[in-house]
Amino acid sequence: MAVLDELIEISYGCAVRVALTLTLVAVVAAGVWNLNWDTVLNLDFTGLWRFRVAIVKGFGMTLALTAAAVLCGILLGTLLAIAMQVRFRPLQWLVIGYVETFRNTPILVQLIWIHFALPVITGIPTTAIVSGVIAIVLQASAYFSEIVRAGIQAVPKGYWEASDALGIPVITRWTHVILPPAFRTMIPPLVNMTISFFKTTAILSVLSVGELMTVSGRISNATFKPIEILTLVALIYFVFGWLISLSARKIETAMANREAWR
Amino acid sequence: MNFDFNVLTIHYPAVLDGLLVTLRICLFSLLFGVIDAVFLCLGKLSGRGAGYRVSVFVVDFFRTIPEVVLIFWIYSCLPLLFGARLSAEISGILALSLLVAANVAEIMRAGVQSTNPGQLEAAMSLGIPAHTIWLRIVIPPALQRMSPAFVNFLTELIKATSLLSTIGVAEMVYQANVLGNRTFAYVEFLTLVAAIYFALIFPLSLFVRRAEARLVAQKCR
Repeated sequence: MAVLDELIEISYGCAVRVALTLTLVAVVAAGVWNLNWDTVLNLDFTGLWRFRVAIVKGFGMTLALTAAAVLCGILLGTLLAIAMQVRFRPLQWLVIGYVETFRNTPILVQLIWIHFALPVITGIPTTAIVSGVIAIVLQASAYFSEIVRAGIQAVPKGYWEASDALGIPVITRWTHVILPPAFRTMIPPLVNMTISFFKTTAILSVLSVGELMTVSGRISNATFKPIEILTLVALIYFVFGWLISLSARKIETAMANREAWR
Repeated sequence: MNFDFNVLTIHYPAVLDGLLVTLRICLFSLLFGVIDAVFLCLGKLSGRGAGYRVSVFVVDFFRTIPEVVLIFWIYSCLPLLFGARLSAEISGILALSLLVAANVAEIMRAGVQSTNPGQLEAAMSLGIPAHTIWLRIVIPPALQRMSPAFVNFLTELIKATSLLSTIGVAEMVYQANVLGNRTFAYVEFLTLVAAIYFALIFPLSLFVRRAEARLVAQKCR
């Protein structure tokens, strides 16, 4: 915003910039001064080459879990959002209760609950990976249903009235009238939620489901060198998450252009 | 399967200790995080120069890497790199305050940049001094617009404190695990902890819903 930039310039923008740069230099200098140079000089990233297959497999698992969470989440979330639109109070309360329960408790608690407490109740033991997928899909369905609900509410009233006036059957109304424009407005929040669940998969490492964070824990236990592997893993997560948000921005501008052109 | 309340009435003080630790971690990481966030936000608003570039990178980096990776990195790498001993709780607070700093800086920036340009232009053309514009025209409505996003992030922060149980901070989830291992009453303790988290977070998320609806209504008016 041009006016805001102007305001920043007249309120000593230059001085703030200089002060920030000096603070930055001071922080970096203090960091370098206190570094333990023995450790830094002995860092050996080439040693990780041995574990390349394990790291790639772990990352594949992370991507698979993200895909499972996002796809099942969108599917179940859409069903939940449609159920919210049905004029039947008990069903609406049930959906609200479900969504609020999964949105307002930490995924870690849900995960441990499903892995350790649920088998006690049902008598059916689950493997770590099954518990992990159940937990992440349940949480994803709650979060995605909120997004779909907002998307459905953003569809203009005229669409509903037109489909009623034309006598379009209920299922066709959802699949051909309401959901397509709803999903078009939902793309940016859906991508943000995808990044968020990409991050959430790392939490499943508490059950050792074999995704990237589990693998990094195993490698750092085997080599006694946590710095190299954890830094590499952090960079992998950062680069990939950044790529997703970059593609989101591309999609958004492409869609804005298409709308403008129409 | 029957729900055994006796085990809860005997062992609930340990869970409450955990609750206190959870709240303490939230409080300290908010305190340190918001101070850092002001610097990062200034850097992002300053528009160019080294401060701007570094703030953009820091905000993007700590918003994109998973919280668990950040927590483990700080817990197991910082002591090696700087030769300083950090307790689990201190490293947890450090990790979460970085998380707070990056997210709150982004919320603050969005709040300031959504200032009504018409109001700013009017203020500038009236020759109102810069500090008065900031204090009277930019910051108060920005704070109001920020409040839903900030409270929403607060709920994320409370949920994120549960992750500190993985490095052995004695907060609620850790206590529930320990008590579950000792008494085999996993269902009871985990349900209790889930209920406490729900009771902490649900009012906040209700507030977010109300405040968001109010902002939308304001925009439509």
